[in-house]
Formats: sequence, structure tokens, C-alpha cells
Amino acid sequence: MIACIEIALKQSLRDADASSLVKKAASYFKIQIESARTIHMLTIDSDLKTQDLERIRQEIFTNPVTQVSSLSPLEIDFHWCIWIGLRPGVKDNPGATAMEAIEDLLGRPFGPDEGIYTSKRYCLSGQSLTRSQVETLAQELLSNPIIQQYKIFSRTDWHPETGANVKPARVILDHTPCFDFIDIDSDQTLARISDQRNLALNPRDIPVIRQYFLDPEVAAQRQSMGLSGPTDVELEYISQARSDHCNHNTFRGIFKYTDVMTGEETIEHSLFKTYIQQPTLALKEKKDWVVSVLWDNAGVGAFDEHNNYVITGETHNSPSNMEAYGGAITGIVGVYRDPMGTGLGSKLFMGSFGFCVGDVNYDGPLKPPLHPRRLLNGVIEGVRDGGNKSGVPTTFGQTLFDPGYMGKSLVFVTALGIMPKQVKGRPSHEKKTSPGDLIIMSGGRVGKDGIHGVTASSESYSENTPAGHVQIGDPYTQKKMHDFLLECRDEGLIRFITDNGGGGLSSSIGESAMISNGCVVHLDKVPLKYPGLDMWEIWVSESQERMTIAIAPKDLDRFMTLSRQHAVESTVIGEYTDTGKLHITFQGKTCAYVDMDLLDKGFPAWEFDAVWLPPAVRGLTEPVIRKPEDFNRLMTAMLARPNICSKEWILRQYDHEVQGGSVIKPLVGVNRNIPSDASVTRPVLTGNKGLAFSQTLLPWYSKIDAYHMMTCTVDEAVRRLIAVGGTLDHIGGVDNFCWPDIGYDEKTNPDGRFKAAQLVRACRALKDACMAYEIPLLSGKDSMYVDGHLEGAFGERIKVSALETVQFSATSVVEDILHCQTLDPKSAGDLVYVAGITADELGASEYYDLFGKTGVNVPQVNFGANKVLYRAVEKAVNLDIPASCHAVGRGGLGVHLALMTLAGRLGMEIDLSRVPAAAETLSDDVLLFSESAGRFILTIPPDRKPVFDKLGKGLAFRCVGVVTGAHDRLKITGGGSDVIVDLSCADLDKAFNKLFGEMI
Amino acid sequence: MTQVKALILTGFGLNCDHETALAFELAGARPYRVHINSLVDGSVNLADFHILAFGGGFSWGDDHGAGVIQAVKLKNHIGKDLLDFVDAGKLIIGICNGFQALVNTGLLPGLDKDYTRRSVAITYNDCGNFRDQWVHLTANPESPCVFTRGMDMAEFPVRHGEGKFIAEPDVLSVLQANGQVVFQYADATGSPAGGVFPFNPNGSLQDIAGICDPTGKIFGLMPHPEAYNHVTNHPDWTRRKQHLQGEGHVFETEKTIGIQLFQNGVDHIRERFF
Repeated sequence: MIACIEIALKQSLRDADASSLVKKAASYFKIQIESARTIHMLTIDSDLKTQDLERIRQEIFTNPVTQVSSLSPLEIDFHWCIWIGLRPGVKDNPGATAMEAIEDLLGRPFGPDEGIYTSKRYCLSGQSLTRSQVETLAQELLSNPIIQQYKIFSRTDWHPETGANVKPARVILDHTPCFDFIDIDSDQTLARISDQRNLALNPRDIPVIRQYFLDPEVAAQRQSMGLSGPTDVELEYISQARSDHCNHNTFRGIFKYTDVMTGEETIEHSLFKTYIQQPTLALKEKKDWVVSVLWDNAGVGAFDEHNNYVITGETHNSPSNMEAYGGAITGIVGVYRDPMGTGLGSKLFMGSFGFCVGDVNYDGPLKPPLHPRRLLNGVIEGVRDGGNKSGVPTTFGQTLFDPGYMGKSLVFVTALGIMPKQVKGRPSHEKKTSPGDLIIMSGGRVGKDGIHGVTASSESYSENTPAGHVQIGDPYTQKKMHDFLLECRDEGLIRFITDNGGGGLSSSIGESAMISNGCVVHLDKVPLKYPGLDMWEIWVSESQERMTIAIAPKDLDRFMTLSRQHAVESTVIGEYTDTGKLHITFQGKTCAYVDMDLLDKGFPAWEFDAVWLPPAVRGLTEPVIRKPEDFNRLMTAMLARPNICSKEWILRQYDHEVQGGSVIKPLVGVNRNIPSDASVTRPVLTGNKGLAFSQTLLPWYSKIDAYHMMTCTVDEAVRRLIAVGGTLDHIGGVDNFCWPDIGYDEKTNPDGRFKAAQLVRACRALKDACMAYEIPLLSGKDSMYVDGHLEGAFGERIKVSALETVQFSATSVVEDILHCQTLDPKSAGDLVYVAGITADELGASEYYDLFGKTGVNVPQVNFGANKVLYRAVEKAVNLDIPASCHAVGRGGLGVHLALMTLAGRLGMEIDLSRVPAAAETLSDDVLLFSESAGRFILTIPPDRKPVFDKLGKGLAFRCVGVVTGAHDRLKITGGGSDVIVDLSCADLDKAFNKLFGEMI
Repeated sequence: MTQVKALILTGFGLNCDHETALAFELAGARPYRVHINSLVDGSVNLADFHILAFGGGFSWGDDHGAGVIQAVKLKNHIGKDLLDFVDAGKLIIGICNGFQALVNTGLLPGLDKDYTRRSVAITYNDCGNFRDQWVHLTANPESPCVFTRGMDMAEFPVRHGEGKFIAEPDVLSVLQANGQVVFQYADATGSPAGGVFPFNPNGSLQDIAGICDPTGKIFGLMPHPEAYNHVTNHPDWTRRKQHLQGEGHVFETEKTIGIQLFQNGVDHIRERFF
């Protein structure tokens, strides 16, 4: 029997969901809704008796104070009603918790054919509303066809008894599970099958694959298992393992790099080995705080005497691009499994985000899968729900806008965990699988969702990208698993643990079985969401919230007891062996039997041509801009720019202080609304040590040279840490590369060679910066196809590529958090200092961008000079000398003096002529808006001036002004001794909050 | 036995258990983080504890109203144990999701000694979103609440999407008359927020941030006192440090008002039970 409970807030109460709809309809689409109400619906596909239905309706699903509900459609008046439900197979988190609650209350489990499905309907009132307007709302605001379906009812369509007439969104696969043999009679055949089945096999891999299966010895062994040619399970395994996402073929590829200016040619044999692995290993030798790098799900560094911290960063671009909420929540919940699967498992203690999207007010002809505004809302909410419901503070985050991100938006998510150095006498960062260990899958169940996610993210977005790989993360299920696994870890039950992310079991078991050198997996044991999945689908499905764990058979009972106590599903699905074979069975029949070392069988490295066209060759020059006359208006225009202005509304939606360790928050200042340089968190509440964390994104500099983009990015991340109290002695890095397609193709990617050269240059810069600042790369990832083919006005498709982007995350350990500092000036009378030299470096700056210009003078980092200066600032902060300290970033001194004024709510009087400058001839606009690296602004109480001056002796430290209580204005005197900027806090505040100030 | 034993619920998406345990420890109690299922299956007995803490988090994902399923589950399985715990004069504190759970069990507001009736609710913020911010609170000196004894103002963070306190006017009057309104949102000077955002961050009626039962032994609040367990948790701490140093004082760690709140509960148990 199918029943439906409808629940709504009492009419007298404000319906925030519906109000938001009314507001967005008006502001986005100029559609006027007079009023709206939301009705939540539970469709119950079960043979519950009427009295049980009544009981659950009253006891669980209706709050007598706030809600009304009914087992028949609620009579709420409307002109139009929009019903929105999930498509079959899409993860329905509230449906699952509803089922759990009902099972608990009634004391009876639901059978496999029973289920609960949640949906919503909106009752809209408005005489003038038309069906096409309502369609627009359903399509452009309320639902996404990838995961949802909708129905629209006018008053006359509506039947008061049947209502929305919702059918259960049950998945029915009328299919008997099986596996297939794949024909490999020629390379062409295999290539064709690869295309048909979306295997995304690289053409160069195909002969190697065929050669393996055609080898007589291999064939004979396989025959003994009843196998002839390769099975679909085996080819899917190879496809996953060889995908760019899992194997990082680009970073391990061979680049032929040519500089057209010098004619110099170099061969790069592996960007990863040369520019990431080798420097990191060299630094590991030097830095005893580096515990574990370059092999596990995340890197490990020492935190204090008893604990290590764990860090990794990920992107989740392709799915978020199509279904923003689902993609983003899956991204954050997914990256949170990495620290859980690092070493023997760590406890999550913080996360962060980076969003790069197109212009939120875009109204041109291109049609991205989701409008940037909608996309941004979705990713904000996805990371919010995923992070907040995981109980992990999101302590840092940035949002960037650039037209290139309309081709593909970027969603960066970073996760940090903490773990005791020793677990039951064993180092927690070590783990291995051994023959005889049981393979356990814990957490969620396997369904069709997420199949081919890995291979899809290794391709550019096109109209053929399979939509089925978009999922919806389930932080609730994962949080239960997190708590459960930590208890298992502390009892010493876990021998090996890793997460199921890209590639599902195929990757997690395939990789972990390399250690023991073999495994046997029984796919029929894997718990499924619904029957009917083929073997290969079970093997590669990326259904979320799952970990793969190795335990000794003797520990099974205890493990399962804890699993039950925490209400987590765990299943033994196989065993690690040392047979040298990956052996997969289904109901006793072998469906895969390949050598563990198959992937070492001479698969060719990818090859790229990289051609560097220096900026001058590309015709880049400095724009000719005469000195502005109205600096007040210029300053407010700069502060109002999307990439500068306040995004408080985003940061406030993230719980940034759960777990009780918040020291420096993402927003600081008197009014707590200015983004801080970095966050500081105490992961161990009983100690006074803190973990400082910063992130930087400066993709604009790639317009000139990705080398300098990279060095500036690393430099700013380091400087942000120093500003809050971090130390150069301990800086860990995480690189997240997002690059447009670098594979040259005359027709489809004519500038591929240039983008490849940009990648090579960025990698060289990364090494230079990391060696200079001694930053081991604790973790890193790459996402290589940030392009989109967007439909234009005439049905044409135009390729839009994102800027070459790297998000760099940096960590430092603060010995005593009581010495941490924030950027807000705190007392009138304090002196304002600028440390670091300002040069004529406006290339790709925010200032030039204001005029639509790029220029060529991109900021260049002087590592040697910076290091000395940073040491001095580090020492000053540690000695409590400055009353505030701030790293100068995007927008230069002008913008950052304004932000400090706003943060302190005190006046600042600045003399530009005293700013340490590379040349005396720099004009006021250059001094104000140049984005030279290596600079800080500090305020120094007068009594500490002598000590500070002593620390800065011989360095570019200059007193440029004073903090005053006489007014609350930013007054800047230019080179000509005139006051060129004179703006009150109210003026600055108005500009800073102009774009998003209304958002809450 | 002179240990004050505090039980902090864990599991099913709850998440503030570690810092709540730390807060109790700093307040002199011995904290026990206990999975809800351990109370349900009887392996842990509620009667062995003096203080029960319903902590923050997203129990069951808050999918069907914050704290709703947690309340149904606890009432269903250990409803009697909870009422016995209350009868014994022991203390219950519910923070954020825990407060939401307490009003959904009926343990709050406990009018007319009925600890099972839902007569108030905590619903979606008027601003329409989850929000993390610090709030100013005024404590009601007339309240019997044992946790806020001696307090007049406090600052803690709120972190919720559903924190708007609502009740019928007659219920609100009774709560006021009984001194059950413990904390109200205020501005920095301590004047009532008067419903004005962001001082009142969620639109709570009468700026209500926390209430207790008529005996003052059951206390629920939306702000997180356990998140102010260290001086550096406060958003203004670097400025305060600077001003203290400017006046020639030393900036040191000291007991926060967050820990004081827990300590009041622990002290009460000491006085009453030992």
C-alpha cells in the first residue's frame, strides 16, 4: 500500500523556504509570487496499518506546536502547485532517516520491497502567474533534471483527494546480474567497445591490454578459472586504474617543452617526480616533523608530542558543474573520508572550501549547465550541509569569480584530521594488508550511482557526459561511520583502512591488495541498494560513504559488535591473499582473474608537446593609464568588486567553531566581517598549540605566466600564515591543480601546447617556491579538464576554458596560540608600518581588471629577500610586538589598508611617499594597487617601536602612518602631498558590502 | 564517591561531545561520552550519573525537524529512565540540537510538572539559513536555573539553522512568570535585542535563547557555552589582549564564562548530593 503524509508549517508561521522562493523568483526572473507555502511529503511504500501510519504521523512527523499534517492532501490554497521529487535511485537522505525512525518506533524492520520517499510541493499564489512562469521556476530554481522530477498543477488540474499523486521513486532493474566477455580480436574492436561502454581507455593502452590477455601463459591460467577473453569486470578495473583521475597520467607524462623565444628544448620525464616528489622527499630528510607523504590518502605531519595531523585537498568540479548541491556535498563528504582513511584513521578537525565560478550576474548568450548564480548557491549549500552535518568546522574559505569558470566551475574542498602518534604501541601512520586479513566494506550500500564518475571527470564536459555520476553525499551516515571507526582504531582492530572514492571497490581493493599481493573478493556479498546490478557495476560503483578495511579474523566479532552499536553496516566481502592475483567471484563463479602486477606491464606514459610563448611574444604590453583624479571613487569601486567585496554571507553559513578549538576565525575585526589571513584551530583542546591554515588562489596571473601565478600563490599562502603567528620552521603545503585540457588538437584544442607549457612552468615554480620556503607537499591533486563547451545564441557550442588555477593550502604549527594575531588595528596612536617592497607590478591585477586590461608586469617573488623579512615578522608576532598584522594580497595596499580600517573601526592616516618602493617614480595608483608579493601591513604601539625597528633593521620596514581615534576615516596622502583618499568607515563599508550585503 | 559524573550523549550524528566533555572536565566533573544505543540496550544505566548532557550536532541529520527523531527514540526506549532522572533532582542540559531534543521530548518546558508534553518549539531561523555568529546574552536573575547562578551577561556562539523559539502567548507568559526564560539575546550593551537581526540571530520570540523547567534543573539553550572553553575562543580576544597589555596587564588564560556555566551545574550536584 502506498500512503502519503503531507506536512506543513502552521499558516501563522513564517515559511523561510517559501519566502526564499518568492524572493529569488522576483530578483532572478522578475516573476511576482504573492505568497507561497511549502508542503513536505513522505510517500510510504509499505503495508503499515492505518493506526501505525497515524502513530508515526503524530509522533514522528508532526510537531504539534508548529506543524499541521494529514494522510490526505493538505488543503492549502494556490493558483499553481509545483511538486518536486527525486528521480529513482538518487540518494534520499531524509527518506532513509524517516525509515530508521519508523523502524525504531514500531520495532519492525522494513522489507526489501518497502521504502520511504520524500518530496516537496510548493503552493504558489499569484493571480498573474502563468504556466510558463511556473515552469521556469520549476526548471531554473527548484529542480535539476539530473536528479529531480517535477509536476505542475493549476487549480483546475488539482484533485483534492489524489493531490500530487506521488508514486514511489523505487528503482526497479528488471535485470539478472551477469558479466560479459569482451571481444579483443583487434585494437579497433577494443577501441570501439571502449567508446560504447564509456571505458575511456587511452588508445595507447589498448595494445598493452590485448597483449596481456593474449599471452598464452595468462590465457592458460585464466582458462583454469573458466575464463577466456577479458571480462567486462576486468576491463573496468583496468579503465579505472589507468584513468587520469586515479593514475595522474598527465603529471606522470612526458612533456617536450620548447621555449619559442630562446628555442631551448627540454624533456620533462615526469612533472610529479621532478617537481613534487623529489623536493618533498628531500625536505622530508631535513624536517623531522614530516611523518608520511606521497603514498597514503593524505599527508601526515607532527602536531605535538603525542599527535600527528593529516591533510589533503580535493576538487569536485565536474559533478558540481551539473548538479551543484549534490556535487558539492559529495565533494566535501568525500574529501572527509581521506583523513579517515589515512594511516589507521584520523579524527576530522577542520575543513575549508574554495569556489571559482562565473559572473553571478551573467546575462549573455552562453548557456552553461547551471547559471553561475544558481551554481554558487548550490555549492555553498552543498559544502555547508556536508561540512556542518559532519561536525567538522569549516574555518576558511574563498570565493572567486572569473568568466572562464563558466566553462567549468571549480569546487575545492580540503580536510584535516588529527590522530595519536601511536595506536596500541604501533605508529598510526603505518598500515598494511596481509594474507588472511578479511576485507570489510563499511558504511553505505552500493547502487548504480557514481558509475564512471572517475572517467567522466577525466574528460571535458559535453552534452554526452553521463549524468548518472552525480550523487548526493550523506554526512549523517558518514558521521556514524567516523565515530565507529575511531573506536575500532583505538581498540587496535584496524590493520588497513582506505576510503571508497573514485573507482569504488576497484580502486580501494585493487590498490590495497597490492600490499599483500592478492585478494579474493565475493561481489555477491556486497550489500546493494537494490538488486539487479551487474558485477562490473558493483565493482566500480562510486556509491558514497564507504570505507574498505582490513582486519584479522580474530577481531571480527568485536568489530561487528561495535559496528552494530554505532548503527553502521559492515560486511565481510573477501580476503587479502598473496597469490599475486586479483580474483573476483560472483556466486562461486570467477568473473575476474588478473595479475596484481598487470598495471606495471609497460603501459606507455602519456606524451605532450609544450610550447612556451613568453608574454612579449604573445604581444602583451602594459596598458597606458594616466593617473586617476578621483581616488575616493576609485577606492570604493575597487572595494565593491566581486573578487574583493565581502562574502560574509557565505562564511557565516559554515559552522567554523564546532569542536571548540577556534582561535582565529574566518571573519575578524570589531564588526567581525573582514576575512582573516588564515585560521588557527586547537585540534587538541588540552594543549596551547594551534594549527594555522591558509589558502590562496591567484589564477589571474596565469594570463601572463603560470610560473608567477604559482610562486605568488605559494608566497601569499606562506605570508598569511606568518601574519597570524605561524612559523617558517614548519610549513606544509597542499597543491590542487585545475588545468584546462593540455592535449593539443588542431581542431578541438589548438592552444593545448601553450597550456601544457603553462603547466610545466607552474610545476617548476612550485618546486622553486617549495624549496625556497622549505615546504614539503603533504598532499596534492590534479583535475585536468576544466573546460566546457557551452551552447551559444545560435545553437553553436563554444569552448570556454577556466584559467590555469592552483589552490595552494598551507599549514603551520603555532607553539603558543596566545601569541596569535589578527589583522584589525586595535589602538589609536599605533604606528602603521608597511614591510616589503612595492614595485610596478600591476600585471593581471585587480586594478587593471577594473579597466578590462591585463598588462604584462606580473608580480615576481624574491624568495631570498622575503625569507629574511618573514623571519623578522614571525619573530615580531611571536614577541607580541605588532598590534595587528596583515598580508597584502589581491588589490594591493589600497584595498588592504581599507580592509584594516574597516576591521579596526579606527582612522588611519597614511603617507604613500613613505611606502618602501622599488623606485621613487612610482605613481600613486601603482603604489596603491600594485600586487607585489612579499608585503605586510602592521600596526605597532609606539612603545614597541624601538624593538620593532631593531628587528627590521636593514629590511624594507617603513612607518607609513598612524592609527587615530580622532576620526574613523582612511586618509591617504599621495606623492604630491595632497590627501588623495579620504573615506569614512561608513563609505568603505558601503562599498565593501554593495554587491552581497543584502545576502544573509 | 565524590565524583560528579556527567553523561554526554554521542552517536547518530551528534557532534559536540568532545568539547562538551572537556567543558565538564574543566568544571570539575568526570565526563562520560556514551552512545545513545548504550542507554537503549541497557549496557549503561542513566541512574549512575548526576548530569545528562544533550549536546549539539545533527542527530539523524535533522531531516525531520531538528532533534525530533532523537526525542522520539529516547522517549520510546528510555522515557521512564529520563523521568526518574528528573525526579531524582539531577541535572539535564541541552545545547543547540540538545535543546531542540529537550523541547521535543517535553522535558522542557515541563509546565505543570508534565515532562512529556510539547508546548514550545524551535524552528527555522527567520534569516532562512544556518548561521554561525557570537551573540550577547542577558541572564535572568529571577530564574531558578542552576547553571546560570550569579550570571548577568554572557557571550557564546550560536551555530544553527533552526533556533527560533516559538510558543503560544499564554505559554510565553507562564514561562516569564515562572522565571523559566533564562537567556535572552541582547546587544553589546545588554539591552534586549528586541527581535532585531543579527543581535537576535533567528527571530526567537521575546529574544529567547534558553529556558529551564520550573525547578531550574533542566536547562536548554541554543548558544554553545562549551565552545567558549578557552579565552582564545572569543572573537575579540586578540583585541582584549592588546588593550590589557596596553594598560600594563598580563594577558592570561582564565576560566571562561562558558566553563563557569558548567561549573555551576557541577557545584550544584556537589552541594545537593555529596
